Amino acid sequence: MGVKIGELFKEEKISFEDLRDRVVVIDAYNVLHQFLASIRQRDGTPLKNSKGEITSHISGLFQRTANLVEARIRPVYSFDGIPHPLKAKTLEERHKRKEQAEKEYLKALEEGDLKTARLKAQQTSRLTDKMVQQSKDLLDALGIPWIQAPMEGEAQASYMVKKGDAYAVGSQDYDCLLIGAPILVRNLTSQDKRKLPGKEAYSNVYPKQIMLKTNLKNLGITHKQLVDMAILIGTDFNDGILGIGPKKSLQLIKKNGNVENVLAAIDAKNPPTYDEIKEIRKIFLEPKITDEYTLQWSGIDNEKVLKILCDQHHFKKERVEPTLTKFANINHLIKQKTLF
Amino acid sequence: MFNAKVKSEVLKGIIDVVSPLVNEVKFNITPKGISLRAVDPAHVAMVDLEIKSDAFDEYKATNMELGIDMDKFASIIRLSTSNDMVNLEYDEDTNRLIIKIGNLVRKMGLIDTTGMPDPKMPNLNLPAKVVLKASELTQGVRASETVSDHLALTVNKDDFELFAEGDTDTVNLKLPKDLLLELDTNSKCKSLFSIDYFSNMIKPVRGDDPITIMIGNDNPIRVEFNIAENKGHVTYLLAPRIESE
Repeated sequence: MGVKIGELFKEEKISFEDLRDRVVVIDAYNVLHQFLASIRQRDGTPLKNSKGEITSHISGLFQRTANLVEARIRPVYSFDGIPHPLKAKTLEERHKRKEQAEKEYLKALEEGDLKTARLKAQQTSRLTDKMVQQSKDLLDALGIPWIQAPMEGEAQASYMVKKGDAYAVGSQDYDCLLIGAPILVRNLTSQDKRKLPGKEAYSNVYPKQIMLKTNLKNLGITHKQLVDMAILIGTDFNDGILGIGPKKSLQLIKKNGNVENVLAAIDAKNPPTYDEIKEIRKIFLEPKITDEYTLQWSGIDNEKVLKILCDQHHFKKERVEPTLTKFANINHLIKQKTLF
Repeated sequence: MFNAKVKSEVLKGIIDVVSPLVNEVKFNITPKGISLRAVDPAHVAMVDLEIKSDAFDEYKATNMELGIDMDKFASIIRLSTSNDMVNLEYDEDTNRLIIKIGNLVRKMGLIDTTGMPDPKMPNLNLPAKVVLKASELTQGVRASETVSDHLALTVNKDDFELFAEGDTDTVNLKLPKDLLLELDTNSKCKSLFSIDYFSNMIKPVRGDDPITIMIGNDNPIRVEFNIAENKGHVTYLLAPRIESE
């Protein structure tokens, strides 16, 4: 989900060509959730194999990675570890919303209302431990490196960009900017059409790049103040203040300097305690990350990939093979070492 | 503040050194001269460049940064002949670089340097050192370009060797110690490099000017030489290729 702060940021349209030869760390949970929500049939049924197991995540991960490698971009995936205790509440709420959506989905199906069915179905998708493991196994077979983050995958990704090991974080969420990622790339698909959520309309989607420092400068705030703004709006770790959206929050932080001063100046219902504020700041400003990783693209094991996709997940071989050829470019990534 | 007058060929030298690796760069300007350190997008190569103020005919500067789009810069400098004088002046009010060549004036918008990285030079253990005439090396690299996309450099106790192998053809250049300006190693060192990158790195060195090479085993290479009549110094690092099975 992440903080709803996007409208304040200036985005710059880019192309895959601009990312050529660059390392992009992708928030794995973020994309897998995306695939599970969007790769579905018209009535909202996800892709399934003949055993009835969902394969949307596998299909998406395979196609997406192939397109990136074909464009000579170097993808790395960063997987979530243990969630922060403060996120537990958000996760519980999401779980409840999913159960509700499930009921509404089944009802809509029964009534033959496919539009509602698909919309509701998208809200039911769950990323299970098994799916995460299947995704990691596929990446191993593809020779694409992945990193197990101690906590938030996007915090790890942001750290790697800050350190200079990667060019940008690939995610739809803006949270990595709060964590201090210098560059965020959204819509990591080569220019394509995407269905607008809940509508029968399509829009052209391009990759977009958001630079943290430039945006902070434009907004006239510091990185710390951006985090404070997010606390007022609401994050994955707190509810935020009723009635405060991005614009109001920016205005209040610029006027008062920080969250504590804002809360002293306004009359807020259920404001976070000072201890909570301190803890949330720590999540964004001093996240738990690891230096234990190597970025090595080790080359595709065609046989293994076919085994996973065709034997395990029952993909048709003739549909897999054209995508598989896109990985030919990976040889270039393997033989050439990098300086750091 | 930055206000300088310089022969076009000095600027052309800088462009030859930097452009093949990076397009958007940050020049650090000080009263003593200008410098730059940048890594290519793939993190395969690094360039470190220093030009002393006396390489310029006139030079006045305070500490500052200039963010330059090298393609744009090259397009205007290319319009001058090598002996033309080029005037460079930073216009603080509009954040532009004013480039004057004769009666031609180009006002060039600068790139925002906030957020542009300052890469650190990695610590490398490169036990073998060779100094040779650029022309000798250039010949070997040129010959290899048509044969393969990578070449092997080997420093032995008594010679320096360049070898490239394609499907049907090979290229070998062996230079014994007495043809080299310097050779220093205790043991054989060998590493492979992309010809694309390596060829671009040695291109800016003129004819018989000396070029210094330091290598290890499957380690990056360090290439050093002077430009701007020895008033400028260039250091390149290039990560190796690894042997294919």
